[in-house]
Amino acid sequence: MPEPALLALTWRVTRRRFVSSPLALVAGLAFPVFIAWIGFKDSYAAAAKFFFFLLPHVFLIAAQDTVRSDLDSGALESVLFLGGRFRAYLEAKSLVLGAAAAGYAAVLFVLFSAWGVASGGFRPDFALRFGLGLIAGFYYMALAGVLSHFLRAGSNVLALLLVQAGALIGLIFSTTPRTGLLNYIASGRFPGLGPKLVFGSLVAIVPNVIVSGRLPLYAAEVLALLGLALAAQKRLTARLEIRK
Amino acid sequence: MIEAHKLAKRFGRVEAVRDVSFKTRKGTITAMLGENGAGKTTTLKIVLGFLRPDAGAVSIAPGRVGYIPDRPAFFPWLDGWAILGLTGARRKDHAPGNGRDFGASVLAAARSLLFDPALLRRRPAQYSAGNAKKFAYLQNLVFAPDLLVADEPFSALDPPSIKCVRELFCGLRDSGKTLLLSSHMLAEMERIADAFVVLRHGQTIAHAGLREWRLMRSARTGPDLESVFLRLAGS
Repeated sequence: MPEPALLALTWRVTRRRFVSSPLALVAGLAFPVFIAWIGFKDSYAAAAKFFFFLLPHVFLIAAQDTVRSDLDSGALESVLFLGGRFRAYLEAKSLVLGAAAAGYAAVLFVLFSAWGVASGGFRPDFALRFGLGLIAGFYYMALAGVLSHFLRAGSNVLALLLVQAGALIGLIFSTTPRTGLLNYIASGRFPGLGPKLVFGSLVAIVPNVIVSGRLPLYAAEVLALLGLALAAQKRLTARLEIRK
Repeated sequence: MIEAHKLAKRFGRVEAVRDVSFKTRKGTITAMLGENGAGKTTTLKIVLGFLRPDAGAVSIAPGRVGYIPDRPAFFPWLDGWAILGLTGARRKDHAPGNGRDFGASVLAAARSLLFDPALLRRRPAQYSAGNAKKFAYLQNLVFAPDLLVADEPFSALDPPSIKCVRELFCGLRDSGKTLLLSSHMLAEMERIADAFVVLRHGQTIAHAGLREWRLMRSARTGPDLESVFLRLAGS
């Protein structure tokens, strides 16, 4: 756990970065606007489906250029980060970004729930779905954090989105041979090891599917993958050097 | 203050540093000299903890450490005041809002470096190379280090600013601070340094105090530090 003074410094640096980034602000606001639009055009129940499924993607807004851009910019070669403190800063940055994204997600959830209570569409299982959305979101952040050791700027997030798009397009184009799998996904039951493994691979790429709350085994898989990604991130950060 | 022992660092096939050892004493200015690619910057980065040595060890006496890179860079979304505020917050006895007049001390330090305080409202990424260097000095003055390490301390500076920085170094030394400077400006180094470390091909080839250095110089009948350095470097 980074020292409190470093967490405070990291929070100030990160907050100023987001405030000065119109793209991040627009991306952050686009999600609630989209959900509200669905709700008003269709129904609260339809908005809820989109809200929980897309909630983990909110974390990707915060997960851009977490490591490589800072390292290559030379900004970490400063009196603020001497004595290997730049590694602790990068660890603190992951924590701060995760906490900020979770805080923003919580605010959105409270507003969404208030809307549901007012319209009579709120269901108690939403709390569980929100928790699963947070797990998937943290997994995204950890995965993007690992990729950010190798990819500059927002290309870590772009790479993730491209892999997701590729997987989903592949799934659509192989609909006929995979009709069984789609049925299994709809029912939440996977008879046999083959379909389980195929779906497990899909979950590793699109963890959003666990927010349905009907896939506890795969939620456990995402939790395990989150642990692995965090361990990989910690190991990579511990080996970092500023060579430029 | 700093003790480096048999440092070695390799980047792939390139052996940047293979046997660097030196000591600096408290309250002195030590100049690290060497040709391009001699391993000076790599050595400084090992000392400062930005790089891990493959072999050898560095020990630094307890205290605050400051650093002036050759080409300073800063977070592009922070303005000068914000960066100085973060730096002051690291030095708890000098943090903004603790009762001391942080702004006044910053302005005084800026003037001593011929740095226009109006620039502090702008982002250092927009500064000229010389002003970015002076801002890095200002940041370090706010931090008030016990040990200051500078890589090419005079690069990008105009003659009046070089004079200010020279006076700053001498003032810091006289107040008991320790300085380690890596530079190609031999005339400047000869004026202010108390000790010299000369690197060549990643190795320490000479390590001398000023008295020893002058003895070497007279023995070799060289007129100045430049001649001695060129002899040592085999140029």
